[in-house]
Amino acid sequence: MSDRDESKAAPDPEAPGDIDEGKRQFLATTTGVIGVLGCGGAAVPLIRSLEPDASVAAAATTIANLSDIGPGMQKTVNWQNKPVIIVHRTPEMLATLTALTGKLADPNCEVPQQPPYARNIYRSRKPEWLVMVRVCTHLCCIPLFEPTPGSVEPAWRGGFHCPCHGSSYDLAGRVFKDVPAPRNMAIPEYEFINDGSQVRITAMYPKSKLC
Amino acid sequence: MSTLIAWIDRRFPLTKLVRESMTEYYAPKNFNFWYFFGSLALFVFAIQVITGIFLLAHYQPSADKAFESIQTIMYDVKWGWLIRYAHTTGASFFFIVVYLHMLRGYLYGSYRKPRELLWIIGFVIYLCLMAEAYFGYVLPYGNMSYWGGEVITSIIGAIPVVGDWLVSLARGGFGIGTATLNRFLAFHVVLVPALLAALVVIHLLALHETGSNNPDGIEIRDRLGADGKPIDGIPFHPYYTVKDIFGVGVLMILFALVVFYAPTLHGLFIESYNYTPANPMQTPPDITPAWYLAPYYAMLRAIPNKELGILVLFLAIIVPFFLPWLDRNARARSVRYRPVYLGMIVVLVASMLVLGWIGMQPASPALLPPARVCLALYFLFFFTLPFISRIEPTRPVPERLRM
Amino acid sequence: MRKLACLAVLALAAALPASAQEAAKLSTPHYRFDRATLQAGAKFFASNCTACHSLGHIRYRRLATDLGMSKEALTRIFPQARNKPDDVIKSAMPADAALQAFGVVPPDLTLEARYRGTRWIYSYLKGFYSDPSRPTGFNNHVRPNVAMPDVLAGLQGIVAADGSVISKGSVSPAEFDRDIAAVTAWLQYTSDPSKLERRALGPWVIGFLVVFTLVAYALKRVVWRPVH
Repeated sequence: MSDRDESKAAPDPEAPGDIDEGKRQFLATTTGVIGVLGCGGAAVPLIRSLEPDASVAAAATTIANLSDIGPGMQKTVNWQNKPVIIVHRTPEMLATLTALTGKLADPNCEVPQQPPYARNIYRSRKPEWLVMVRVCTHLCCIPLFEPTPGSVEPAWRGGFHCPCHGSSYDLAGRVFKDVPAPRNMAIPEYEFINDGSQVRITAMYPKSKLC
Repeated sequence: MSTLIAWIDRRFPLTKLVRESMTEYYAPKNFNFWYFFGSLALFVFAIQVITGIFLLAHYQPSADKAFESIQTIMYDVKWGWLIRYAHTTGASFFFIVVYLHMLRGYLYGSYRKPRELLWIIGFVIYLCLMAEAYFGYVLPYGNMSYWGGEVITSIIGAIPVVGDWLVSLARGGFGIGTATLNRFLAFHVVLVPALLAALVVIHLLALHETGSNNPDGIEIRDRLGADGKPIDGIPFHPYYTVKDIFGVGVLMILFALVVFYAPTLHGLFIESYNYTPANPMQTPPDITPAWYLAPYYAMLRAIPNKELGILVLFLAIIVPFFLPWLDRNARARSVRYRPVYLGMIVVLVASMLVLGWIGMQPASPALLPPARVCLALYFLFFFTLPFISRIEPTRPVPERLRM
Repeated sequence: MRKLACLAVLALAAALPASAQEAAKLSTPHYRFDRATLQAGAKFFASNCTACHSLGHIRYRRLATDLGMSKEALTRIFPQARNKPDDVIKSAMPADAALQAFGVVPPDLTLEARYRGTRWIYSYLKGFYSDPSRPTGFNNHVRPNVAMPDVLAGLQGIVAADGSVISKGSVSPAEFDRDIAAVTAWLQYTSDPSKLERRALGPWVIGFLVVFTLVAYALKRVVWRPVH
């Protein structure tokens, strides 16, 4: 059934004219480049769709009431599955912050463990309110709140003490010298809302390290 | 580069595959508009798989969360709306492309010997595609998803003896619910796509074994040149690779026009009744399937008896399977030389279009006579073909391909 | 070609709304779908609708960018946006109170425009009339025996079933019309916020694809020259 007909052979794509060859190469390359750009353009939305979506962002902030925290008391809230402690510091507590400078590893907050507005002796926006991520910078345990003078040891003025490996911090979360923990505890980004009756915790300060 | 390819070739038939399927696989040189749709179907399949994966990253297959998860994709996920609209548009485009691909088969006799198996494999692909679309449609769990799910799973109940048991397998419970969504997700994401992928590979293997048909319906392998290649054939690469890339470009323009300017196509691609959550206590005023299943739905509604209607529906879907053996015109395959057959195909297509339109309208007694007429014409096409094809006037078929 | 034309005509016919009888009662709102209209619609919705209806998928944060408003301007319309920008627009009335008052919970309206259509919403909001036989004292031409009271009576005034005016509203009919058109546009936005982004991106994507297709066509012509 197969006739051998030599009168009109199939065109040979390997032997086009010279002008055509140049044009063809240019067009093939151009099509290829545009095609790759198109595929890249399609890939970008697909990959980015895997980033945390807006509903996750909504769950990323926590609002805490301040009205039920009496002077000297604290409340620890869950923020992005991390504990954030809010301490209503008394004037006596605030007075201890200047007395311990010699014992602290980083009393002037040189290491950026806090947003710029918390780079002060209180490590907060308002002196009486400490808002801090209650995670020990050594190996991520949750330190105990020890506000009572003399509780941890006779010279104790008040602060935080971590039961795991014995790191200590003052009432602004600044770490003591000669303890395992290397840095002050992190202060998150936060703001007061509703005329100061609530605090809204939004994000980690990008330069800070948790533990 | 050539050393790398030599290294691979020693271990895997890379160059051999490329040569046998592309650069030395000869296809007829006169492929026209109707020959784009095979490669376009493959392309749309790829779009569906890719967009599907990224939708699956967010979808939740439970009765209380499914609808919400779709809204999360549309409102909260970055670019979620684009991925979702691409997937729904792709579903409809898949059917448009596949129906045109099938129509090509009718027009040029692509189902004739020795391509009967190719046709049968394609037919099975079509069945899988309908199942895939059905499972996918239930997943968003809008009210139309729910009731469409209920209606189709009850049709299975008409099967004698095992019908009710099969319905309980499909639903996994008393009615459509979380169990249904979970298994439909498994079918829609894993089972049917795997089947489709395998079937497409087998489809292409069968095609390459016989070589492609063409608009003149003559066998190019009957006339070989001095080099042993068909004189009316051209290598698939670069001729048809380059032509199909152009075809993809045109498809993408149409696709983008829909996605960016009319993503629901005014209720045709995404029905408005699916914008409310599934409600077992309330059926939509009219339950109609998606447009691509509408002709069969019109056929079902045209028959006043439930069991008979389901039987007719089943037969209507099955009958094209037999086309290779119903067409008995020994002189020509293509409608270019068979004007009567062309007329029959025009009537068939027109009937399906009318049935499709009827299937999307609310049930109405006024629409029953035209539905029944079209249903009759549909079956008449297949039942009269063995007789007409033997006696119809057939123009002489040329020796060489006409472009 | 004729086959394709028939195909196109039938495809278009198939896209017509399924319920022909309701279409006769509905009128078409006239608005430009732009930021100014959406801001007006958002304001109207916040003043008149959020008492009972939520928009459970619209987060305040996206409104500022989508509607082109500063955070201050947005907070003036939606006070919640200041403290909880990631929250969704919630209704003021709790579900159980609503159930007691109306017998049904006022539905969330995020997708209403996609579900019912903009013509339905526009005609519905303009379709209230006085009906003493109903518990709310009002009925609606588009949704008979609806449980929703005519909260817009103050603005629109009160009409009888035949359209005759019983009392005038605080705004002119033309202004009321514009307000309802704006809130319809707003609901069209909430049911598909991507529309703004689609319209912005569409020309670029399609332009890119046209360039690609033209280059691909040129390549095809060159490669196929030996055959033709």
